[in-house]
Amino acid sequence: MNFTAQSKILIQGISEPLGTTYAPLMQAYGTQIVAGVSPGDGGKTIAPCYGAPRRGKPIANIPIFDLVEQAIAQVGRIDTSVIFVPPYEVMDAALEAIAAQIRQIIIITEGVPPLDMVRVLRKAEATETLVVGSNCPGIIVPGQLLLGIHPPEFYSPGKVGLISRSGTLTYEVALELTRAGLGQSIAIGIGGDRILGSSFQQWLQILEEDEQTEAIVLVGEIGGDSEEGAARYIAEVIDKPVVAYLAGYSAPKGQFHGHAGAIVASRVAGLGADIGSTQSKLEAFKLAQIPVADRPAQIPALVKKALEQV
Amino acid sequence: MELLEYQAKELFRQMGIPVLPSQRIRQLQDIKQLTIPYPVVLKSQVYTGGRGKAGGIKFVENTIDAVAAAQMIFHLPIMGKYPQVLLAEAKYDADREFYLAVVLDSSERRPVLLGSQQGGIEIESQFDRLYQVIVDQEFSPYYARRLAIGMGLKGSLIQSVSAIVEKMYRLFATCDLDLVEINPLAVSPSGELMALDGKVTANDTALGRQALLSEFTHLLLLQGRAAESQTSAVARVDLSGNIGVLCNGAGLTMATLDLLYKAKGRPGAFVDVGGEYRQNCPTSTFESRIQEGLDLLLDAPEIRVILVNLLGSRLSCLQMAEIIAAHVQLRGKYRSLPPIVVRLVGEEFSEAQAVLKAIDLAATDYLDTAITQTLSLLPAKSA
Repeated sequence: MNFTAQSKILIQGISEPLGTTYAPLMQAYGTQIVAGVSPGDGGKTIAPCYGAPRRGKPIANIPIFDLVEQAIAQVGRIDTSVIFVPPYEVMDAALEAIAAQIRQIIIITEGVPPLDMVRVLRKAEATETLVVGSNCPGIIVPGQLLLGIHPPEFYSPGKVGLISRSGTLTYEVALELTRAGLGQSIAIGIGGDRILGSSFQQWLQILEEDEQTEAIVLVGEIGGDSEEGAARYIAEVIDKPVVAYLAGYSAPKGQFHGHAGAIVASRVAGLGADIGSTQSKLEAFKLAQIPVADRPAQIPALVKKALEQV
Repeated sequence: MELLEYQAKELFRQMGIPVLPSQRIRQLQDIKQLTIPYPVVLKSQVYTGGRGKAGGIKFVENTIDAVAAAQMIFHLPIMGKYPQVLLAEAKYDADREFYLAVVLDSSERRPVLLGSQQGGIEIESQFDRLYQVIVDQEFSPYYARRLAIGMGLKGSLIQSVSAIVEKMYRLFATCDLDLVEINPLAVSPSGELMALDGKVTANDTALGRQALLSEFTHLLLLQGRAAESQTSAVARVDLSGNIGVLCNGAGLTMATLDLLYKAKGRPGAFVDVGGEYRQNCPTSTFESRIQEGLDLLLDAPEIRVILVNLLGSRLSCLQMAEIIAAHVQLRGKYRSLPPIVVRLVGEEFSEAQAVLKAIDLAATDYLDTAITQTLSLLPAKSA
């Protein structure tokens, strides 16, 4: 993992609505956005946020290129690419970034066809590229950098690592932590699409090794089996204290398809009909002795308690 | 999006997967035009499973029987759904019935091939006996042969079954499917294979680029299944209580509903207005979706109080408060509205609070407070 204030960041799809909105905001937070890519817009620039807080030196315009390799030829090595291109162009953008030796990719775009993601992941695994998303708010390292669309004002620097499947619910949890004086070392939204680049397990492992992180908050949802898998992994491998929160106790069945990512396999033939329910997830957390918060506002107290017991 | 059996079989036919001669029956008169020789199987074309057990599949020997059976099936609801179409198919005598599927597995992050020699309607109880092969790299026919051998097949069946699996995988990849299933795959005494029933689920995100599926999806839109298959800008989900909830984001919506239930509240409807920008609906603005969402909740029956919980958008609290206030005033001109609690966090919160207070809307920046306030505004007897 390499996410610091010194990281050099590329935005693919910088001329898309989300790219145009968020690139200057990320830059205003202190993120070093060194270039943007948007085929056809090469040679143009994107101006910094009006009235953005300037830390010492003025913020430069972001140069736009037609190709990732052109951007690298001009601005040098890039650590992370944040992708905002439309869903059907995501696979191409990600493969282009991987081909240009970029080894950290964050896909904000929602609704990427799963088989496109499968192709990206085959390539990513072969090249040891970290992929976050798709359909995620990205990553924020409070006080250091913003890679995505998290609202920075909800976050503060600190020692709690936050991993979540959600967007706005992640912000809610960060806000509760910040209000309780518990800053965050990093917050990651792993995404809500069917096929995701990185799992809870991968991030648990990264945060276990991260020196800035002393406790981990895991925000899960009904559907899929990623919480069950995470719970088992925590019991086996993770030494740092983990607190969980789960949304969707009361969700009517089938209403959160896209997000809850229910495994089709379970529908095919009743593969553990119970997988994905809150009950199954709560039991998994209980078995792994992970405290589960009743509501977002209870998370800080559980984190404090867990930290005291270390 | 799930396809009907006859649509799945149309795709099978195009891929070269063996299916029986069949005809669609849209009305009773169509029976007289049947060119398939009797005996014939008539099958209800509905999206739910369990047709056979529900009586939606009938064998008929002649036209008179067929008309009677078709009439019965057209009027037989299966899980509450009536068929628009029946499928008439030649009868087939199977020696054995296999199960085959290709499915997208979110945990493995790969397509998975599934197979069993014990197919048929009892497959659900024997799922752990299914053999699985994960397609971890670019597909090649050896994955299909691995499945056939894993299923315990021998001799010529290895090649013939894996050839069908290969075609299923091609269909899966070409059409961006979540699932393609053949159950049962009939095996005749001479070793001939026939897909007797099939299920195909297309991935909703890929429908926009699937010309091959567009004829089926078009049909679904005509049948008013749009809301189920396509994400519209804003949709209301009705529950059985009296509290309306408007949120942005699925996770936050679920968490808000959970909190209401835990506080003994009864949500009656919710709307998730999503993020600022929706790729699948680029023309709708965040502002217009908040307005539409409010309208949907105001028009919902039985709603006695509305909770608006919007977090982390690019709009300031004041901007959102102004959108909500203007819309509530507009809608409140001609009718009385239920009380509304607004929860916002961020820049210009106190200004936002002032704007909302001026039209008697409660505003808070704490979620727990918003929940308590919402419940306190319910009429005493319904609380």
